[in-house]
Amino acid sequence: MRNSLIASLALIVLLPFAASGQWANIFTSTTCFALAAMGAGFIYARLGMVSLTQVALMGVGGWVTLRLNHWANWPFEANLVLGALVTSVLGMALALPALRLRGLYLALVTLMVAGGMEVVFTAYQFPNGGEGFWGVGTSFSAPMRRPWIAQGDAAYLRYTMVVAALGFLLIEAHLLSRPGRAWAMIRRSEAAAMASGVDVTLYKTWAFGLSGLLAGLGGGLLAGSLGLLDAATFRASESVLLFALVIVGGARFWFGAIITAVLFRVAPGLLNSWGVDADLALIFFGGSLLHAVMTAPDGIGGQINALFRRSA
Amino acid sequence: MRSVLQSLALWGAACVVLCLWLGAGKPAPVVGMFVVSGLAVGSLYALGGIGLVVLYRATGVLNLAAGATGMIGVMLAWQLVHMGLPDPVAWVAGLALSAALAFGYGRVIAPPMAWREPVVKAVASLGFALLLLGFASFLWSDDPRKFELPTDKAAVTVLGLRVTVTRLFVVAFAVLAVIGTSLSLTHTRAGLQMRALADNRKLSALIGVPVVKVETMAWTLSGLLFGFTGLLFGDLVRLEPAVISFMVIPCIAAAIAGRLQSLPDVLIGGLSMGVIESLLTLSEPLKSIRPAAPFAIAILVLIVMNRGRRLTFAGEE
Repeated sequence: MRNSLIASLALIVLLPFAASGQWANIFTSTTCFALAAMGAGFIYARLGMVSLTQVALMGVGGWVTLRLNHWANWPFEANLVLGALVTSVLGMALALPALRLRGLYLALVTLMVAGGMEVVFTAYQFPNGGEGFWGVGTSFSAPMRRPWIAQGDAAYLRYTMVVAALGFLLIEAHLLSRPGRAWAMIRRSEAAAMASGVDVTLYKTWAFGLSGLLAGLGGGLLAGSLGLLDAATFRASESVLLFALVIVGGARFWFGAIITAVLFRVAPGLLNSWGVDADLALIFFGGSLLHAVMTAPDGIGGQINALFRRSA
Repeated sequence: MRSVLQSLALWGAACVVLCLWLGAGKPAPVVGMFVVSGLAVGSLYALGGIGLVVLYRATGVLNLAAGATGMIGVMLAWQLVHMGLPDPVAWVAGLALSAALAFGYGRVIAPPMAWREPVVKAVASLGFALLLLGFASFLWSDDPRKFELPTDKAAVTVLGLRVTVTRLFVVAFAVLAVIGTSLSLTHTRAGLQMRALADNRKLSALIGVPVVKVETMAWTLSGLLFGFTGLLFGDLVRLEPAVISFMVIPCIAAAIAGRLQSLPDVLIGGLSMGVIESLLTLSEPLKSIRPAAPFAIAILVLIVMNRGRRLTFAGEE
């Protein structure tokens, strides 16, 4: 735990110095996706629930943040938090069918939502300061305000990383207290959890809400980084791919979420710049997913963790 | 039979109501055109859904790689036609490749995972889908391609509308696939064994059902169905690896309409989803989001299906 804290602090302090220009933006979006991956990872690892709509939920967070930014003159933080809360409520609404459905059917509900959201995003696009409720103007785009302490790219990267760290601590705090114990019990046996007085409905909904909150934060931060969002970022296929990589990265560990986001966001671009076809990354992802599901349930994160355990 | 008629009435009523509501004041041929084009799209969803349900019932795997399996088949068929081979050879080769891929997965990857939860098996098949998609995108770069069947040229007139034979063929094939599969499930020994497996895997193994053999048959059969779906998607929708691979999502919507169980319901539900999606073009506010119709309907079906159900004990799914 202490090593993790030191490692993440070092990363937050040092990475923005090392990353310049283009890379600062790439790392910022990587951190945003790490937040979403964290949400999907924790409900998979703790409750065995598969959410195939995490990137679409990021889109919702981003949409609300952009909408508020162009509608009211509120500070960035207010928009971001409201965006995350709306996404969280939507996540809880998703949990409603999950309360009666389990496993496969729940995954299918989230897949259908991801498919539907893709259509909605493509049809209505993201607000850029235009007129009306949907706020889409064709020939211009109004600026997106960033937090006043983080106007530059490097500062914004650090800001994003701090939010991601807070998100992780939020999950940790949950796991170490009452909800964490309730989730562990539900995972073991819903009947036993009910019998010992755990409110299964409440805690399952809560988990989905938390996962949605993290995705919404990620989406809002991504909107702040880019200023504009594109519907193509939030396709159903992206949600499905992110979930695949959550398993490859390792859902049980915080650095698993980072590995997931790096694979998702950085690896294809890196391969391209090395002159390797980025499609090869998909072959690798598919192979690693099969490998992870069949033999290494904790993913790359789990293997790194085992490595440190052994040497320590 | 009674439940089939019931769902036929239910879905049919939904389509008719939508027809009357949205088509009010519009000329009948226009409405008819949307219904016919919706039927063609819907039968594609249904065809994919039938393959998914056949496999899911026999093996408990919801194959998210269904689209990708069919996609590889149609890409190979395109490649062979492009290289100058006669069309029928190319089709057969494409279908054979799809069936072989499904067979390979069912033989090598699926058995060690047989005891896992259904959702984990579905996620594993997602890995296979990414593998195939990466492979295809690597081999066939993003140039626009076109895959054509000779039936595209021929057309007949239905209700004053020109309909290509390919579209008629899809609808007919989907209907035949449902009838054929249902009959073989009820009248052949292999079908009996598949139903036994669907009911209870452990007990079937105990009474001597050759589990692996029956499952491999189901995989190969579903691979053939995915191959057909892939060929027709490539012809009617777009020949692009990623697009065809993720067509599995609306196919799953159709499979959900049949509760991942009933083949006639998959057909009826899939066709209705296509018709409803197509009819929504007539509605001004919903026009732009009409492709979301199958997903919205599927969610509705899931919620209705589980109405009043309370699970207290963690079951198999």
